[in-house]
Amino acid sequence: MTDTTLTPGPVATARPDRGSPPGGLARVGRAVRPQAVATLRLLPWGLFAAVLLLPVAGFLLVAVSPRLFAQGDAWFTLAPFQQVLSGWTAHALLDSLAVGAGAALLATAVAVALAWLTERTTLAGRGLWRLLLWALLLAPSYLESLGWTWLVEPQGVLDRLLGQDPVWLRSAVFGPAGVIWVLASRGVPFAYLAVTALLRGLGREFEDAARTHGGGRLATARVLLPMLAPALWAAFAIVFAESVSDYGVAATLASQGDFPLLTGAMEQSIATFPADFPLASAMGWLLLALVGLALLAQRRSLRGRSYQVLSGRTRPARRTRLGALRQTAALAGVGTFFVLAAGVPAFGAAAASLLPSGGRVSAASLGLANFRHVLRSGEMTSALGYSARLAAITACAAVVLGAVAGRALARQGGGRAGRLLDLLLLAAIALPSVLLASGYIFTYNLPFASSLGIDLYGTTALLVLGYLAGALPSAARLLSGPLGQVSDSLLWAARIHGRRPVAAWAGAVLPLVAGSLVWAWLIAFCGTLLELPVSQLLAPPGQEPLSVAVTRQLQGYDLGAGAAMTVLVVAGALVLIGLVLGALRLFLPAARSLEALT
Amino acid sequence: MSLRTAVGARRRMVGVAAAAGLVMAVVSACGSGQSSASGGNDVVAAGAPVPLVVYSAQGYDQAMVTAFQKATGIPTKLVDDSTGPLLARVQAERANPQWGVLWVDGDEAFAALDQANMLVKGFQPDAQLNAAGQAVVPKDHSYVPTGLTVTAALVYDSAKTPNPPTSWQDLLAPAWKGAIGMNDPAVSGPTYPFVAGMFDQLGGDSQGQAFYSSLKSNGLHVFQTNGDTLHALQTGQIKVALIQSSAGIAAGIKDKAIKTAYLPKVTSLPSVIGIDAKASAQERAEAEKFATFVLSAQGQKVMLTGDRNGDSLYWPIVQGVSPDPELPALDSVPTQAIDPYVWGPKEGTVNTWFTNTIVH
Repeated sequence: MTDTTLTPGPVATARPDRGSPPGGLARVGRAVRPQAVATLRLLPWGLFAAVLLLPVAGFLLVAVSPRLFAQGDAWFTLAPFQQVLSGWTAHALLDSLAVGAGAALLATAVAVALAWLTERTTLAGRGLWRLLLWALLLAPSYLESLGWTWLVEPQGVLDRLLGQDPVWLRSAVFGPAGVIWVLASRGVPFAYLAVTALLRGLGREFEDAARTHGGGRLATARVLLPMLAPALWAAFAIVFAESVSDYGVAATLASQGDFPLLTGAMEQSIATFPADFPLASAMGWLLLALVGLALLAQRRSLRGRSYQVLSGRTRPARRTRLGALRQTAALAGVGTFFVLAAGVPAFGAAAASLLPSGGRVSAASLGLANFRHVLRSGEMTSALGYSARLAAITACAAVVLGAVAGRALARQGGGRAGRLLDLLLLAAIALPSVLLASGYIFTYNLPFASSLGIDLYGTTALLVLGYLAGALPSAARLLSGPLGQVSDSLLWAARIHGRRPVAAWAGAVLPLVAGSLVWAWLIAFCGTLLELPVSQLLAPPGQEPLSVAVTRQLQGYDLGAGAAMTVLVVAGALVLIGLVLGALRLFLPAARSLEALT
Repeated sequence: MSLRTAVGARRRMVGVAAAAGLVMAVVSACGSGQSSASGGNDVVAAGAPVPLVVYSAQGYDQAMVTAFQKATGIPTKLVDDSTGPLLARVQAERANPQWGVLWVDGDEAFAALDQANMLVKGFQPDAQLNAAGQAVVPKDHSYVPTGLTVTAALVYDSAKTPNPPTSWQDLLAPAWKGAIGMNDPAVSGPTYPFVAGMFDQLGGDSQGQAFYSSLKSNGLHVFQTNGDTLHALQTGQIKVALIQSSAGIAAGIKDKAIKTAYLPKVTSLPSVIGIDAKASAQERAEAEKFATFVLSAQGQKVMLTGDRNGDSLYWPIVQGVSPDPELPALDSVPTQAIDPYVWGPKEGTVNTWFTNTIVH
């Protein structure tokens, strides 16, 4: 394993013991420096504690000790758990489990096929497909759900186009099938990133070896798929955790189809008055248990094996040429996926932003009035500026900390700290962000902290920490694949040739992972830009984040203006992505050939 | 574990703790730096303005805060969001409240907050209220009503539904099977008063539960919020929407075929200001000034013009102030007021019953 200079590892902690030369001031300086360096190296771990450990612990404590946070009379109780495990919430728990597993399986399967086609074959329009994956990653899940709703509802688009009410399609969409599809299609980009990163580093040699020894296509797949196991499991775990914690779909498709999910139940127990935080917290424990099961399965299947495949001897893979028939079949498959996954939400958003905000719908009433209104009113620009600033700060922090965490996750037998971190990161994904945000209030608004003069709650700093808790888990997961893949030998080669640790890392490792770092930054940025639940609970007085402004429009009977804002922001984010990727091609062409980026 | 690794592990632990402490210190320095920059005046002299923090779900709140700050010079910071997230925030902050003024629709929640001693009692703003306003002032003056809407108004499309129902019992008739929609009280703030109001006028919990169970048997649709229910009305999924009056009237301004009617009786739904019981003396004084400003002639003008597509469509409770011309005279609307101190504390149990029995 590479020992990058970013992580506290055996080398880092051993260095002070290597003996320092005697002599006055120099001795003192050298004695202090390692200490300072060691503290600096531990800084990320302190941040992990502040961003993830304390709020998650704070929120989970509410279930067993509500009185600690002025949320009940009992210092210790298990009653909320009994309440959750009875009635419709127990049903919702099982639904969430089934939906999470279904979405994760589907997303992983689609992602493997998609990754193979775009990375290893001459599929046409590869750039376009990757761009569409970006669009999928950006669109909020409620937008995709709304697109489907507008299509299939009575008097909806299909109804008017076909002149017939699509009852059968509606019952499929407003139920398990629709929920699993939307969650899976949203999980595909994450799974794709995990799989592609590994696939790019997996040289052609393993495939060639299998084929040379007489293996058919199936036998070759049987050789290669287990090598992809870390990526497959990472993809499964991340989509599972994202799916069981998604609220956008639970609030739309699932609620209309009377198919209760645990996140819907959680949100409801907080949104209703009086809010029942202990009950929501108990549901949080159960969601974590679900994710824990997925994690356990991942760990058991990967234990004791090494998956280092990217070394100095790795040769770039050659693409398989697709014949006309195969090309057509592949294009049809990929095209269908994107129409169903990205076309529908795009249609929903476009229809909603072009339609007038009320009144009769006719061709003449379609127009750009909503866009003009939004751009002229100016209320969007200040919110956009504020959110964009915070998203940029969050993304930078997420990349640096995500790299540290990703390294720790990829480390074989990463030790207790690595395992704890893994659990924490998944916990942060598994807990819906509204719960995480209330954990932030509980933890950082304790009266004793105020009496010590630490007033974090109600500041922009805490809002950024809250955003970071949302962005860090995906960043760490996305980076752990590429970072874990880089063999130590590259770094050692640079070190043997006299490079200092930082320079060696920058020269040997950075070019290999730069593309992934840029990906991670963009994902964190875009995910934060329209983040709603954390913004709602942690926004400092006097500042309005973008998502709160958009939601105000959507709920204030001005659906058109809200949708227009969303469309503008998503379009702006896509332009930004294009610019960043263009800059990367220009300034770091080497990254292009290795990363899942361009 | 060898001695050396044990020492190493311990050193690492200390390091982690130190790093965590450092992070906290740095971050809190950023945070406190920011808050003292904006509210530094209070350190200079007692009685100087501190920032007044307003949590509000009203459509005209930004206009009001701006007008108030201009008129009084008191720095005012707004958190503008829906009622649900704001009440969640207030409850999560309970151990250490950060708000000064809470301004949302529905007095039931305020009665419950009052019973939990979270509100300043005994404050009466200097304003002449009309009879409808006086009817919703609490005995202990723990909160201040600022205007009235009613729930649930019966909203329908007169082009498709020329003869809407005329009584609550009509809704149970076969003619309206599968044609009625309302919001989920556990999600939509202004819907609990409608549910509680029906329980109250029908004679109690069991009668109320029977009414909603019959509605469900007659194919009641439950949506999340006013917007969703109105959308269902416009797309023809339902013929009648039971929602807050301001939402129905706003829809009628945009689409003249959408009409709003009031069945006997609808429940009055005041917009309400409460002041944090734990606020400093200075902030409390400012919050009281804010409530008084809202009920002044200037404040009422802001309320009536700040959100013409929604919350400004209310009935004023200050003497001599007229509502928007789109609204009928309040006398012509058959309203009832329910006791928030009876129905507020029951909100949790009634909503749970509704979720478990009617929604799922």
